[in-house]
Amino acid sequence: MGACSSSMEERGRTTLNDVAAAIEGRFGNDISRTPASHGCALTYSLTKPSSLPAVCRSLFWDCGCLLGGIIAEEQPGRWQMHYVFLLLLSGWIDVVLTLPIETTTVPSIVAEVHAADWHEREIEDLFGIRFENHPRLGDFVLHDQIWHEGIDPMRRNFSASPAQLGKQLDLEWQPLLVVGDPGSFAMPVGPVYTGGLGESLHFLLETVGEDVIRAIPRLFYNYRAVEKIAEGRTVPDALLLAERFAATSAFAHSLAFCQAVERIHSVEVSARAALLRVLFCELERLRQHVAAISAICDSTALAVPAAQTSIITEQLLRASGILAGHRYLFGLNVPGGLSRDFKTEECRKLLASADEAERELRVLEKRLRYSSSFLDRLEDVGVVKGANARDLNLVGPIGRASGQHCDLRKACPYSGYERLTFEVPCETEGDGYARLRILFAEAAQSVRLMHQAVDALEPGPVRIPCEGNHPGAALGWAEAPRGATLHWVSIDEKGLVERYHAITPSFNNWLGFFMAAENFAFQDFPIILATWGLSATECDR
Amino acid sequence: MGVSPGRPVNTDFSSPDEAQLAAAICPVNAILAQGKSALVDPGKCVHCLRCRWGIPTPMNWDAGYEWARPSAGNGEGATFPASFSKSLHIMVVDAGDCGACLHEVKQLNNPLYNMHRLGFFFTATPRAADLLLVVGPVSENMRGALQKSWEAMPSTRRVMAVGSCAISGGVFGRSFMCAGGVGSVLPVNFEVPGNPPPPLAILHGLLMATGRKPATKSEPVAEGRS
Amino acid sequence: MVSVTGASIVLFFLVCAAGMGLSALCGRKRAPVVIAGAGAIASVLVVLASAAVLLTGRSYEAALWTLDGFGRLTLRLDALSSIFLLTAGIVYFPISLFVRSFLKDQQGSDYPARRFGVMYFALMASVALILMANDAPLFLISWECMSILCFLLINFELQSQTDKAAGYIMLAMSEAGFLAVVIAFLVLGRGAASFSFSALSAAAGSLSPPALWSVFLLGFFGFGVKAGLVPVNFWLPRSYTAAPPVFIPVFAGVTLNLGFYGIMRLNADLIHASYGTGVLALITGSITALVGILYATTERDMKTMLAHSSIENAGIIVAALGAFLIYRASAEPVAAAIALSAALYHMLNHSVYKTLLFQGTAHVEAATGTRDMDQLGGLSRVLPGVSALFLVGCLAISAVPPFNGFVSEWLTLQSLLRSAVLSSTSVRIVFVLCGAALALTAALAVTCFVKTYAMNFLGPPRGAWEPQLRTRKGVPFPPACLAVACLLLGVLPTYVLPALNRAVEPLAGASITTALVQPFFTANARNGQLPHAFLQDFHNIGAQSGRRVLPGRGLVVLLRGHNANPVVFAMSTAYALAALAILLLLTWFAVTRLTRRRSVVRRPLWAGGIPRLLPQMTYTATGFSNPVRVVFQAIFQPNITEDTRQTVAVHFRTAIHRQREETHVVDRLFLQPMGAAMRWVARLLAGMHHGRLNAYVTYVLAFFLLVLFLYRGT
Repeated sequence: MGACSSSMEERGRTTLNDVAAAIEGRFGNDISRTPASHGCALTYSLTKPSSLPAVCRSLFWDCGCLLGGIIAEEQPGRWQMHYVFLLLLSGWIDVVLTLPIETTTVPSIVAEVHAADWHEREIEDLFGIRFENHPRLGDFVLHDQIWHEGIDPMRRNFSASPAQLGKQLDLEWQPLLVVGDPGSFAMPVGPVYTGGLGESLHFLLETVGEDVIRAIPRLFYNYRAVEKIAEGRTVPDALLLAERFAATSAFAHSLAFCQAVERIHSVEVSARAALLRVLFCELERLRQHVAAISAICDSTALAVPAAQTSIITEQLLRASGILAGHRYLFGLNVPGGLSRDFKTEECRKLLASADEAERELRVLEKRLRYSSSFLDRLEDVGVVKGANARDLNLVGPIGRASGQHCDLRKACPYSGYERLTFEVPCETEGDGYARLRILFAEAAQSVRLMHQAVDALEPGPVRIPCEGNHPGAALGWAEAPRGATLHWVSIDEKGLVERYHAITPSFNNWLGFFMAAENFAFQDFPIILATWGLSATECDR
Repeated sequence: MGVSPGRPVNTDFSSPDEAQLAAAICPVNAILAQGKSALVDPGKCVHCLRCRWGIPTPMNWDAGYEWARPSAGNGEGATFPASFSKSLHIMVVDAGDCGACLHEVKQLNNPLYNMHRLGFFFTATPRAADLLLVVGPVSENMRGALQKSWEAMPSTRRVMAVGSCAISGGVFGRSFMCAGGVGSVLPVNFEVPGNPPPPLAILHGLLMATGRKPATKSEPVAEGRS
Repeated sequence: MVSVTGASIVLFFLVCAAGMGLSALCGRKRAPVVIAGAGAIASVLVVLASAAVLLTGRSYEAALWTLDGFGRLTLRLDALSSIFLLTAGIVYFPISLFVRSFLKDQQGSDYPARRFGVMYFALMASVALILMANDAPLFLISWECMSILCFLLINFELQSQTDKAAGYIMLAMSEAGFLAVVIAFLVLGRGAASFSFSALSAAAGSLSPPALWSVFLLGFFGFGVKAGLVPVNFWLPRSYTAAPPVFIPVFAGVTLNLGFYGIMRLNADLIHASYGTGVLALITGSITALVGILYATTERDMKTMLAHSSIENAGIIVAALGAFLIYRASAEPVAAAIALSAALYHMLNHSVYKTLLFQGTAHVEAATGTRDMDQLGGLSRVLPGVSALFLVGCLAISAVPPFNGFVSEWLTLQSLLRSAVLSSTSVRIVFVLCGAALALTAALAVTCFVKTYAMNFLGPPRGAWEPQLRTRKGVPFPPACLAVACLLLGVLPTYVLPALNRAVEPLAGASITTALVQPFFTANARNGQLPHAFLQDFHNIGAQSGRRVLPGRGLVVLLRGHNANPVVFAMSTAYALAALAILLLLTWFAVTRLTRRRSVVRRPLWAGGIPRLLPQMTYTATGFSNPVRVVFQAIFQPNITEDTRQTVAVHFRTAIHRQREETHVVDRLFLQPMGAAMRWVARLLAGMHHGRLNAYVTYVLAFFLLVLFLYRGT
């Protein structure tokens, strides 16, 4: 843990000024610095699109920034593309590319920043903007079996109403297989498998019988076009969508959404609301990590710990229900704070449940650590090396298990996390066992944070009015249980949502999943999946 | 406590204004004001809790969990024959679910609920399934797979829509990507409203489907405003 | 008196000569009919001749002419020869008919059918001569003729350079084997009056043990080349793959057997081999069987797979032969008789079903243009008739009752189990290990042929082949004959064993008819051949059903033991088939009665909800057999020669290619070291050839002095 902890600080030593000097020194003619906006620490406007890959490369590799994501927005008469990077401990850097609306191609940065792959594919599929020299476009969000090319649902002129588009199942569709071993074939898994208790997603396991050479995930079965249908809704209505597209991390996503709205309205939430938000955030993380541990135990057919952890999960769900009135913490976050206040003794009761959960987890962790048959199945399974994790910009516990030491609670604090003491556990092995250890360690840290939050509660309002017409756009972010989430909200003059884009940790990490799923034994596949603990619905939106 | 989040039920307010207020705050038109009373359509309610915390006079709250009901169209007499009452095999299909309903369904395997003791089993193949339990509003990309699951089931088969998304589309509604509920794709026999319905409500639905709990009378259901 | 045998043999040679002449002279269009007609007549004559010998028990003998220095050349058709000749005749008949349909398909092209006809009949005659030769010179001459004809027939339809190489490897190996056999005969004939087999046999008794061992080894491996024994079989898969489809059944069904014939004639008949030689044969056979089936299981080319499977069967036959030699040397005549009959029975069976499978393969290749099992699939819809026959062949070769493979493999394993009677513990352990190896072989054979049938005939087509020929719904006649033979040989072992006994009894010293075929039909309480209680027990379970209809001794193969253990083993495929048929009928009847009122609803295939299960999403033959490859990695030692990942950026795989290279274990452990040693010796010798005259003179002088030294006494 020690070796990693220093790395965030070490990388954090690069300051914004260093980055600004480096970028402006190299690309002074191609970019111009604009006043920092949207919650970013540094904003550049790119005047020469062709230098975009070089700028991104410089930021990602030379300055050591992480990729936040790419946000495309169709504004009247122009495209605006935000390439958002995160400088650890300093803040977000936004490189804005503005193009006339007629533009159909944009230089691809995939060759420089590999982690941008899926962001560009998504934009291509939904907006119809082609990325020059991108190796594989099309057939991503909109499955080519059902959707013809040329449908760009995120364009303004596309109606989200349930119009029939003459959809015909394309029976001639063929998957793209890459393994050319003699006798290789693709074993299809899903989209409905394990009796549906797994989420809907489809894999093609390319294999020559026993050893799977490569697993290709096919996602977006759960794509409900949340970002499209959010457009034109009021902020509270859009909040419902932000909360409900991925219920297992609902609070973190709604928090990121609310923070973006608050930033547009320049509203600072009260200290009490911020601490209560921390309490719920950590409760959600604790519950989600326990559920993930349960899934890992289940995948190795370790029935008793799986049952024990699922009981803990249920106890935490019930504790949430008692305190918040909802088992998945829906309806709590509102722009400006929380929808209602909670008594301190109620919160203490919740802490008692959390303490109980932590105690049980500690016993369980010790027992699991001595179950060699269990560890045999986790160790050296689904390994992602540190360099690959950096390359593919893995976030959350998975990134931290591969030495990718980034946690937004420390790297870019929000909601008062900077005032709380906690550690960000980190491992370097990058295998299934490292990911399990991270989950246990983070669960303990969450309980610690919950205590601090409740102890620091002081009387005060929980909700600052956050209404009125403030057109604008901003970023909101939070460290969801599965990793960093970044929400972009843009509001028009009428107070309606103009563009909403959620960059989720599962979306980030599914891109890197293939790295862990190469050359493995078929029976390890469920274990690799469980140790990654990714959510399809969080990725699909 | 905490087993069920509870849900709003039909409420008689002291004034029509209060009822109007309750109807207005509901983001999904699940509450219909009729004079002094506000009627709730549980199939639409998304548990945003706004009618509980967001208005001065909150709606009445039902803390129970016996929420399942036969579907309006195909629910009549859809209860399984008696031979299924001790052993029912359930296939779950995630048709665009947010993960909450799916997580609650998974909790049924939890020792605290232990649905095996009641003779309910999850199965991985539609060939062995009697009941198709669908969660989610049916996304366009999953529509084909859902239909195929249904087609692959043996003849005595029923469909249960779990969660308000599966019943009415929930917050996602109907769009180019969402069918707005299972009913527009398959004949739904049973519904378990809730967003998500707690495990006990789903269990209630299963017991009802096998005729071990009486099919609850449909409460007066609000039609929505528009 | 002109016997049936004599007449048939004379006629056979006349028909062969006529066939050669006619196919050389007739038009190209007529050639297929001529070859098929003459071939069928010749094979019927061969069957007649050998059947007459087996039925009457009288050998046929004819003197030809006297050759200076070698004595009289004589023909003799005794029981052992007859069994092999009968086998050849049985498979030659469908092969000849198959030649016709095959050549007719080729008529458009300039296929040299006439040249083929000449060589075909020449080979037929030389095979008959080998089997009937009663002295070493005639045997060796006809053997050499056969070898050269085989070589010519392999290269007959030259398709590629590797085919040519395969032909040369085969020729080189047969010549090496031939040389070993010649030396064996010379050693044997040192003290003999003449080179006739009877004289050689008489002389064998006076040979010293080392001389006997050397004769055995030379003969065993010399003939083992033809029989496909490890480690001298590396030519076999190569040349089978290269051989034209029309000729390959001859290879598998006829000439392979000549190897067994040679081993049996020389090592079992002419010399009385010792205990140790039997152990050697048993071990060699078991290893051969296991190696053969391992490579067959993982092979994807149908022809090559069947070639490896032939090696496996050769291993089983030789293992049974080894058991025979051991039992005979330790004076256990009944066990010896069982083992030898198992070997002969398996030889006969293998010829029949392997010919059937090769003909099926030829049909598949003709219809699809490929033999690659990774590409094929779903042929049962395109070629239903061929599919059914191929299934019979697969069941037979996997030793599934009631087909013939079961009977002989069962007898082989039973004979190995009789090792309990032996006194030496170490030999008993060898028996146990070899039995285990053969049992594993049998299990892998099932895997192999489940794969072969399922991947070729079931499921969707996996490759991009197009049905080239019109789909053939019909049942082709030649393989159908063989399928019927598979069933009959499987159901009626009690009629086959007495025929085999003609050859077994003189060699083993005990009659398997008496030992194994109990007289259930002819015995009754009065004549007292079997104890009354024993007969009563078996009467109750139906061993005597059919006695009024059928001739012979019964339908049960049964070995009787002592009082404590009255039945050592018993089997009746005929009754099992009858019981199975009755049960199936009853079940069918019951099911149709019970489900009369039910409607059957067909639901679409469930594949996890994907729109369509594509052929590339189903198991390939390689994928099916991959677990075997993984488990036996120590033997296969796969070498991944190439592992290329074409990537765009670091993570974006556009193609992954891996080339797995496997060197056959025999090539790796025997052929390559031998080749290296040869080259080393050649380099050593090359060092002497440096072109200096005085050095050559020195060699001559040194050699001269050496000769003088060696013969100083005389």
